[in-house]
Amino acid sequence: MSFIIEGLQKAFALILSLDKEVFQIVLFSLRVSSIAILFSSLIGVPLGFVIGSKNFWGKKFIVVLLNNALAIPTVVIGLLVYSLISRVGPLGYFGLLYTPTAVIIGQFLLSLPIIIALTHSAIQGIDIKVRHTALTLGATEMQAAWAIIKEARFAVMSAVIAGFGRNIAEVGAAMMLGGNIKGSTRTMTTAITLETSKGEFGFGIALGILLLLISLIINIILSYFQSKKI
Amino acid sequence: MNKKVLLKIEKIKKSYQNKTVLDIDSLSFESNKIYAIVGPNGSGKTTLINILNLLDKPDEGIIIFRGKDIRQYSKQDILKIRRRMTLVHQKPFLFQTSVFNNVAYGLKLRGIATESNRTKIMNSLAIVGLTDFDKRNAHQLSGGEAQRVVIARALALEPEILFLDEPTSNIDMRHIDVIERIIKEINQKMKTTVVFTTHDLSQAYRLADEIISLLDGKIVPHVPENIFKGRIVDKEGNQYFEIADNLRFSIVTKKNGLSYIYIDPRDIIISREQFYSSARNSFKGKIVKISEQNRLIRLIVDIGVQLACVITKESFREMNLNIESMVCLTFKASAVKCY
Repeated sequence: MSFIIEGLQKAFALILSLDKEVFQIVLFSLRVSSIAILFSSLIGVPLGFVIGSKNFWGKKFIVVLLNNALAIPTVVIGLLVYSLISRVGPLGYFGLLYTPTAVIIGQFLLSLPIIIALTHSAIQGIDIKVRHTALTLGATEMQAAWAIIKEARFAVMSAVIAGFGRNIAEVGAAMMLGGNIKGSTRTMTTAITLETSKGEFGFGIALGILLLLISLIINIILSYFQSKKI
Repeated sequence: MNKKVLLKIEKIKKSYQNKTVLDIDSLSFESNKIYAIVGPNGSGKTTLINILNLLDKPDEGIIIFRGKDIRQYSKQDILKIRRRMTLVHQKPFLFQTSVFNNVAYGLKLRGIATESNRTKIMNSLAIVGLTDFDKRNAHQLSGGEAQRVVIARALALEPEILFLDEPTSNIDMRHIDVIERIIKEINQKMKTTVVFTTHDLSQAYRLADEIISLLDGKIVPHVPENIFKGRIVDKEGNQYFEIADNLRFSIVTKKNGLSYIYIDPRDIIISREQFYSSARNSFKGKIVKISEQNRLIRLIVDIGVQLACVITKESFREMNLNIESMVCLTFKASAVKCY
């Protein structure tokens, strides 16, 4: 029992003293997950829009695949990207393994299906009248598409936040692709795993508390957006 | 071509799933007029209005805007024509933002400067009587207010033709009067051509300069009043049109089976008592509605179905008719026109 109390005391000391190493890891995690979510949003939102608003052959199959992709274990994504970027893999030439870029690629692939699937359902839920109304007021097809995305903005924002939530909390891909290298690719989750296995509970708990805090903030933002949904 | 003709369609056909929903030989709209498109549900009113507004394409036929076939225009030019008219849908849709931003939407699409925007937006809100509503959230409005905002949104664009699809079908009585007054004002003050669809024939009479009657996608030369669906049956060498189990009219037609009939209200004779004549149809009924229509009195009489008929004011006074009065309706078999 005492080791937990000691761990907690040390954790608060680390947080309150703004320990450099702890906050360096937190900032790295935030940076990597933010870059990954930026790219997955740039690609996922338009793709989700197209799937949600257009009818085409094989659409149902794609939706089933997407929903399935939501539950892909992070280590499977890690394995997939590892096989591609390891020295012997087809992209081995770029030397990406154990770099922040590798972690970003892994998290990008993890959050992409979430963003596509949630944007798709958000767009589908938007009244077809948005498009019609925009067209009657003189919109081009592109302007009408933008009007739909704007109307679905709260739902699309919650898709992005949900994707970010998955990125920041995952451990499998970051561990396999980043290698948990101190000062280079160590994220909050990989650090917690390592420090706990070393018996450094204080360090692990400090990062755990900060991770919970970030998750809490994300969820508050998420529920705010969801409450504003049409 | 008449210079006043703004929009014209010729030989327009449109089908959905092999069913012809619209088949119009020719129809034109002149500037500064109000047109009402009337017809029962499924008669093709909305399809027609969507084609006129260039939102839907006909399968066949041509659309002429200000004397020029629109097929001669590029896609960009068609967009420009589309932007000279606008359509207000039956159920108003407002974007999730303020009333002001909603009214500004169409102007923004056209890249019109913000300063001139403001005046146009406030003027449009003033026309629909919602001057102080600009900062309100659009989703907090009542049905009638929302309908007025969508009309203001259309007016801000200063369209040459304003199309309104069933503008009063989803709002309460109090707002119907307001919307009707607004339609008149738009036409008179802004010189906008207004084309609206309606179920309510009396509304068409009140507002429109011309009434276009649609039935099964075709233009019919009379208002769609006294139109009934039923079955033509032969009994002992005589032809009847059965509307209900215990109600049938004598008719003369070459048709058979399911059909529509139309009886011109002017062909119906109203009397207090039944009288002997050559007319094959005579029914007793109760007056359920009385209204004035172009110096005539329009009566709705319930004989099992509601039949509209018209009489002069003099006859109406002499016969001393009231709501609930029992009257007799008489009309010839040849007055029942079959489609």
